[in-house]
Amino acid sequence: MIKIHQGVDMVNTSKLRDICMRHEGFVSEIFTEREREYCMLKKNPYQHLAGRFAAKEACLKALGWGLQGIDSIMQEIEVLHSPSGKPELQLKGWARKLATKFGITGRTVSISHSGDYAVSTVILTGEKR
Amino acid sequence: MTQDFVTGEKVVDAVKDAVAETLSIEKDTIKPESSLINDLDAESLDFLDINYRIEQTFGIKMARHFILEHIEEMFGEGSAIDEDGKLTEKAVELLKIRLGEELPGITAGTDMDDIPAHITVQSIANGVMDILDTLPEKCSCGASAWASDDGAKVKCSSCGEPAAFTNGDDLSQEWLRKVQEEKKIF
Ligand SMILES: [Zn+2]
Repeated sequence: MIKIHQGVDMVNTSKLRDICMRHEGFVSEIFTEREREYCMLKKNPYQHLAGRFAAKEACLKALGWGLQGIDSIMQEIEVLHSPSGKPELQLKGWARKLATKFGITGRTVSISHSGDYAVSTVILTGEKR
Repeated sequence: MTQDFVTGEKVVDAVKDAVAETLSIEKDTIKPESSLINDLDAESLDFLDINYRIEQTFGIKMARHFILEHIEEMFGEGSAIDEDGKLTEKAVELLKIRLGEELPGITAGTDMDDIPAHITVQSIANGVMDILDTLPEKCSCGASAWASDDGAKVKCSSCGEPAAFTNGDDLSQEWLRKVQEEKKIF
């Protein structure tokens, strides 16, 4: 039997931009180098960073791991793109260990933006043991 | 050593300031026992904002890895969280010693994602105090002349350098090693 873990998150782009401006180090601590490069080339980088933040948080919810502070796990969930432009999740470190622990073998992510909000859903699947 | 440049009241007060500014709420509505999620409606971006503000106020670096992750790193996969995402008995025992208080509702078998609701103003302040208490006896310049103008940032009054506290992750690991040695939990 397949077990499904779902997560959703919504981020206010202005709020994220405000935090990026006030805390030097936030962007490089939360987003990977590849994510920063991708977003910073866009016309509205913060909208894209907000979408990625929402995807990371949605993935955390699907994994059942809540933030208690500044957590390196945000860097360990990376949003990449297939050649067609479809987003994909790559996990490493503790995020990957949690996924392995729960027997997760498949994952999908979807991201959308409208106005000042970005939203993302993540579905993780695995065999129920 | 236990430092006496920054008081416990000052730390709680600064955590309240960080929470009030982040969430745009009145400081008087925030109590030490307020749960950031359950009582104050903080979301994950707010958690990050609050913690960055606190780090700036005190010149410290808080842990980037939660204690459950450190436990599994040190004592092996499955030592803190089982394959259904539930806390082990040993993880609960360590959490209770670490947070130094009763944790109502947290027992072996509690879902790991129930923990963030237990984060309060006081529990954050306790974590900050633990880091501040790692103030070394002497500055790297050799002087033993710590001082604080604002009751928050400690610096050397001889060379002017900010105090080098142990970071939160190193502190968690040191703490786990010490508790394991004393209590042989694993
Ligand atoms: Zn000095």
